[in-house]
Amino acid sequence: MIQLQGIGKTYEGKGAPAVRALRGVSVHIERGEFVAIVGSSGSGKSTLMNVLGLLDKPSEGTYLLDGQNVLDLSLDVQARLRNRRIGFVFQSFRLLPRASALDNVELPLLYSDRAAIDGMALSALESVGLADRARHRPAQLSGGQQQRVAIARALVNRPDMLLADEPTGNLDTRSAREIIELFQQIHRDGRTIVLITHDQHIAQHCGRILRMEDGRIVSDRGVERPLDAAAELESSAGRTELQPATEAP
Amino acid sequence: MNSGRLVSMAWQALGRYKLRSFFMMLGSLVGVTALTLVVSIGSGAKQKMADTVGKLFNASTIMITSGSGMILSGPRGDGARLTLDDIRALESELPAVEAWDPIQVIAPAQVRHRAADSSPRVLGVSERSEHVWARSVVRGEFFDVAAVARSDRVAVIGATVARELFAGEDPVGAELLIGQVPFRVIGLLEPFGTDLHGMDRDNEILVPISTMMRRLLNVDSIRGAKLLVRSPAQLSETARECKRILRERHGLAAGQPDDFTIMTTLEVQGMMAKSERIFSLFVPLAACLAVLAGGVVSAIVMLFSVRERTAEIGLRRALGARARDIASQFLLESAVITCVGGVLGILAGTALAVLLGTRLGLPEFLSFKAVAAGLAISSVTGLGFGVIPARRAAMLVPHEALRR
Ligand SMILES: Nc1ncnc2c1ncn2[C@@H]1O[C@H](COP(=O)(O)OP(=O)(O)O)[C@@H](O)[C@H]1O
Ligand SMILES: [Mg+2]
Repeated sequence: MIQLQGIGKTYEGKGAPAVRALRGVSVHIERGEFVAIVGSSGSGKSTLMNVLGLLDKPSEGTYLLDGQNVLDLSLDVQARLRNRRIGFVFQSFRLLPRASALDNVELPLLYSDRAAIDGMALSALESVGLADRARHRPAQLSGGQQQRVAIARALVNRPDMLLADEPTGNLDTRSAREIIELFQQIHRDGRTIVLITHDQHIAQHCGRILRMEDGRIVSDRGVERPLDAAAELESSAGRTELQPATEAP
Repeated sequence: MNSGRLVSMAWQALGRYKLRSFFMMLGSLVGVTALTLVVSIGSGAKQKMADTVGKLFNASTIMITSGSGMILSGPRGDGARLTLDDIRALESELPAVEAWDPIQVIAPAQVRHRAADSSPRVLGVSERSEHVWARSVVRGEFFDVAAVARSDRVAVIGATVARELFAGEDPVGAELLIGQVPFRVIGLLEPFGTDLHGMDRDNEILVPISTMMRRLLNVDSIRGAKLLVRSPAQLSETARECKRILRERHGLAAGQPDDFTIMTTLEVQGMMAKSERIFSLFVPLAACLAVLAGGVVSAIVMLFSVRERTAEIGLRRALGARARDIASQFLLESAVITCVGGVLGILAGTALAVLLGTRLGLPEFLSFKAVAAGLAISSVTGLGFGVIPARRAAMLVPHEALRR
């Protein structure tokens, strides 16, 4: 589904020296995969996600989406692609603070050419278990609930891929696990997910882990038996978890 | 993207940023209020002016004043040369003159009736005043030619004087004192209202010109006269002749300025046209500037809004908004809010116009033109000044905007 070949990205700083955020990234991601991208801060993870999500144009390389060269498409067609096929989840949720959960979830529908959108936002909220919070504003929701609203927003247009940049970075362990459980469920529904994290434990829930260093992919390995977040939640239920998730060395 | 949704989205966004929306709205509200007010008041004033001038100047009137200036202002020494004989000479030499009425003035005068006192204008006129000024009595009678010839101490009073001095009592037949001189009230003048200068023309007393000149002022000059010319076609020619004859009688050498002022209906019409231009062009123009200033304020507030909402714009782009969707969103927000301001401005301006118009006694002060202009200008400025922030918003690069 996704084929990146020799992707490079250089930020030409005004006055500052140019930053080579990506250096020749090549990777194939099949439909239905659940991929984690790990790496230290500044290694180029977010830049790669911007390229994958058509938010930024790489300086070099090719990007085929279902065999189509999407980098040559007009900006408007790219916007349509984002709207239809890609759901974004961000570390800081990025909900409109003064809009209700329902209005937030509805946002992508406003930019779609769908004729009938009634009820879609509410059913997306339902799918993340927050139908009863539709009228709440973000500030009236916990961090985990806010991120679930954001996921509902990412799913509302029924995209086939989900790009998440540190979606658990602002959450406590339990909420993080709930979010991962939700991702695993979405994955089981057949969606392709690319999840950026610097948390090794979180990454162990995915099917494949890409490690980035200095703008390059330095390792690419499958996870033989991904962890099951639902089971973890089950076993930790009733207990208070104080220790953070284990960091990889 | 569906346009109904766009509008409701803009509306919601404005509702979320109430204070900011309020300031944007204030811009157009103040401008449109000013515009509606001046246009409405302007057309009312124009109407009023036409009415009043119509009452003072018939189709063919010549007004002669001694010295230069206004016929109803207080006594002045410099131009005390106009006499009844001057005007009689005009009448006898110029067959086009159909009728004339002299005028002499005490303004204000001290007038008393028992304990009540008042300071109206007292005008000395002839019995022909009734015809020449087209203003008669509603009660009692006007003084006749005999009364003028005898310098009778009789007076015809306006409604305001009647109210202030006689409070409810019937003034006709009563006595009053002008200065120390006793007069008998014989008639009540037709009401007139305020004139263009805001002067209450019902706060007046008319007495025979001879009585005023001899018994009240002891002068042999008059302040001015109003002449009616038989036909409008003879007006300019007659006015020119009046000027020639008066200069001759006053012994003015060539090059010396007139010691009188002649004004005709034609000149008044010219002056009216001029002030009409001011009312209907320059004043609204000034108000339009206010609207423009309001538009600039709105645009600046919107620019701040775009800066503050950069992250939101980045998010919307990520969710599939095209550059032009972002542009139309901000454009629409500007347009909606300035239109709301415009409508409120029209209401406020109209309310103020009604209030002020009633105070000034202006007729028919509601102007459809003002409402239409206000709506048009507020929506045009809303769109015009919305373009800049809208473009700024649309030009933001999605991933850059998302870094905020
Ligand atoms: N818009 C930008 N302009 C300039 N430099 C940038 C920009 N975005 C990212 N960078 C730089 O590119 C490098 C990679 O950044 P990023 O992809 O955000 O890393 P990560 O998400 O792995 O922390 C960093 O050095 C960062 O400073
Ligand atoms: Mg990052």
